[in-house]
Amino acid sequence: MNEMHCDNCQKWLHGYLDNELDTTTATSIAEHLKSCPKCNQVYEGMRVLKAGIREHIPTYEMPSSLSRSVFAKIEAEAHSTMWDGLQNMTKHWGAPLFSAAAVAAAFLLYIATPSTQDEWVDEAVSDHVRSLMVGHLNDVISSDRHTVKPWFSGKLDFSPPVYDFTAQGYPLVGGRLDYLQHQNVAAISYMHNKHVINVFIAPVASTDSVPKNSSERGYNVIYWQQNRMRYVVVSDLNTGDLRIFTELLQKGM
Amino acid sequence: MSHKADVKRFNELFVPHMNAAYNLARWLTGNDNAAHDVVQESALRAFRFMDRFAGGNARAWLLAIVRNQSYTWLKQSGNNRWINIGDEIAEDDIALSHTETPESHSIRSQDTALLHKALQELPPQFREVIILKELEEMAYKDIAIVADIPLGTVMSRLARARGMLKTELVKLYAHE
Repeated sequence: MNEMHCDNCQKWLHGYLDNELDTTTATSIAEHLKSCPKCNQVYEGMRVLKAGIREHIPTYEMPSSLSRSVFAKIEAEAHSTMWDGLQNMTKHWGAPLFSAAAVAAAFLLYIATPSTQDEWVDEAVSDHVRSLMVGHLNDVISSDRHTVKPWFSGKLDFSPPVYDFTAQGYPLVGGRLDYLQHQNVAAISYMHNKHVINVFIAPVASTDSVPKNSSERGYNVIYWQQNRMRYVVVSDLNTGDLRIFTELLQKGM
Repeated sequence: MSHKADVKRFNELFVPHMNAAYNLARWLTGNDNAAHDVVQESALRAFRFMDRFAGGNARAWLLAIVRNQSYTWLKQSGNNRWINIGDEIAEDDIALSHTETPESHSIRSQDTALLHKALQELPPQFREVIILKELEEMAYKDIAIVADIPLGTVMSRLARARGMLKTELVKLYAHE
């Protein structure tokens, strides 16, 4: 191999290492490395270094306190921009009376709009994602339902059913307090083959309903109402396994 | 009155990348508190300027903001080492990688504390490409967006960063 070829090899080596080259260039580099011990030694050195970094350099985990404060800031910002928008609108129309009425109407609308199933499902999925992202899955971590269930008493004005389906392959992981659709809910998590399942439970006035399926942003959701409780189950688990879990929950055994 | 929709869009686009945001901020600032501030400010900016996100890679878009905020902090804190960047591979880096034995290099590449220190010692412009490539597993085209360099520069920047990292490892190893 001539020197020119080695220069080229050195130039493209890192693209080769990172799998960023087109097939033709990659193939000619691979050929050259086979026949040139000098370039191959450089390549091996970089390969070992790359592997070492990937194996030994830590990814810093975002503290859950930080994620909570980020979410709070975004919510606050969203509300303040809504407020600014109203103020601009009234400035434009120059009618202070209208302003007060509009603000009042807006807030009434915001508060009084009854939440639909869709909104529950949507917010539950966001919450599920958040609980996984921020490493804040559970406030009480226990696989013992006699630890998890009492933890909720005094924190909620209802007693969420908690089970342990370890024998069936869905062990209990823990529970936490959550806030969905302007009310406190119990979030109880279970595992199945490394997949987290979040079960959101809140009291509801209306009658029982049969489970419905939905798929949101790649997550499977099953929701129903039973014994004056609303259940929303969210997981990236496949529909079949999630359905089996749901049936266990419904039977409560 | 679509603040709920805005929050929803933010959650969908950027929340999945918050850990990556924190990781980059933490590596660039080298400091927990600074990373905290940088992530908060970046999230707020991403939310405010969300309208300007015209599709594409949401992670790269967010991390570009995080990077800018981190550099602002670095400049203000004034304890960083800014260097001129030429992206040609330094001759001594290549010379060095020829002289050492593969065995000694292999040992150093497996030493977590040494690697960590060496990486933190690299100037931020080189540290960031390694973080983005190896820890965040980003493609060159996305690294180009975050680091604000032409696509063609990503490979040579990475080559130089790795060469410097090797040199740094040898230096630190000698001092141990």
